[in-house]
Amino acid sequence: MDTLVTINVVSPSQDGAEKAMNAALSEVEKLEKLFSFFSADSEVSLVNKNAGVAGVKVSPEIIYILDRAIIVSKNTHGAFDITIGPVIMLYDFYKEIRPGERAIKKNLPLVNYKDIVINRDDSTVFLKKKGMLIDLGGIAKGYAADRVVDSLKKHGIKAGLVSVAGDIRTFGNKPDGRPWKIGIRNPRAKGAEDDIMAIIELSDMAISTSGDYERYFVQDGKRYHHLLNPKTGYPAEGCQSVSVIAGESTFSDAFATGIFILGPEKGLKVLAAMGFDGVIVDSRGKIHITANIRGKIEFKRNP
Amino acid sequence: MADRVLLSLLILLSLSGVIFVKEVLPEAGNVQIEVNGHPVYMLSIDEDRIVSVKGPEGETIVEIKDRKVRIAQSPCLNKLCMKKGWIEHGALVCLPNRVVITIGDFKKVDSQRGIESPFDAVDAVTG
Repeated sequence: MDTLVTINVVSPSQDGAEKAMNAALSEVEKLEKLFSFFSADSEVSLVNKNAGVAGVKVSPEIIYILDRAIIVSKNTHGAFDITIGPVIMLYDFYKEIRPGERAIKKNLPLVNYKDIVINRDDSTVFLKKKGMLIDLGGIAKGYAADRVVDSLKKHGIKAGLVSVAGDIRTFGNKPDGRPWKIGIRNPRAKGAEDDIMAIIELSDMAISTSGDYERYFVQDGKRYHHLLNPKTGYPAEGCQSVSVIAGESTFSDAFATGIFILGPEKGLKVLAAMGFDGVIVDSRGKIHITANIRGKIEFKRNP
Repeated sequence: MADRVLLSLLILLSLSGVIFVKEVLPEAGNVQIEVNGHPVYMLSIDEDRIVSVKGPEGETIVEIKDRKVRIAQSPCLNKLCMKKGWIEHGALVCLPNRVVITIGDFKKVDSQRGIESPFDAVDAVTG
């Protein structure tokens, strides 16, 4: 996980703020150990290694995040699916490698969140088919942001902003009493001047963005990005970016991914059904926003 | 009513589990360059300059020009930090060489006087 975490707190004392931030730092370290897809002894890796063989005992945090992930899967018609592991592994966005149709067809049957078996009595997680792989990349950062905020609140912090690689959770207001100002990145920015396309004001809300410009390469005029449709194994095509505003980062992170894959029409329906707000930039660059945030968002005019 | 202070903490998590901790981001108009968690330069964004810092992998060259910052050269494998190009706000990071560059957006605030944010200042960026 090469991740930039920023913690901002509002506090009457520097000492209190530092104590709270150090506690939050420990929290992040702990989560990193649990979730790492790459680290051989993380709990997630052990579950993956035992796919089709046996259930693995896991910490309550893992059970919690899996439950949340499955809720998002159910509410996005399966567009968000953490079992996408075997297919995303076929792509390498740095080396610009993508799988052929045969490889995708071979691995697609391993993608199905319904094959995750959670046993609450003995706290185990079992993946039904050999070769199944869970990838928590689409939800772990949001969850981390929520945990950091919980930790800060427990240490008496009343207001702050936490960002885990662009998954942002705010609580309370800034020292001047105003809400936090969050910039939303322009998915087709050409440079620093047009990098931010909108500024939204948030109080006690989380915002996350999924975009086709985060990890991608272009081959034969086609963009291959990391937000794969679990039904096809190919990158989803309806959007350039999706930002979701919800009460918790775990949901804004995962729903941003799911809604991106669903596309603007189905995506807006999911936002309405969940009572979330959002900003969708569709594949043609047209911007769709939910009615609620009209007064809270300002779009920059690009020259 | 006690003065309220806005403090910031920047943490970097890398694949190897190494964590850098930095306290208190620079104030508006300043460019802070750190290596291995220690501040090495605090420069004004208004003065065009090219500086070189030494990290565990070698020399990273940072350029400030026209109120923008970029990493002009770095010894890392992927050169991801260089590919980011020029930034006007936020942070630039070369993880392998342990270099962190931050552009100050914050003003230290006294709640009794309040603050006037410049039009473009945001507290964070998503996406």
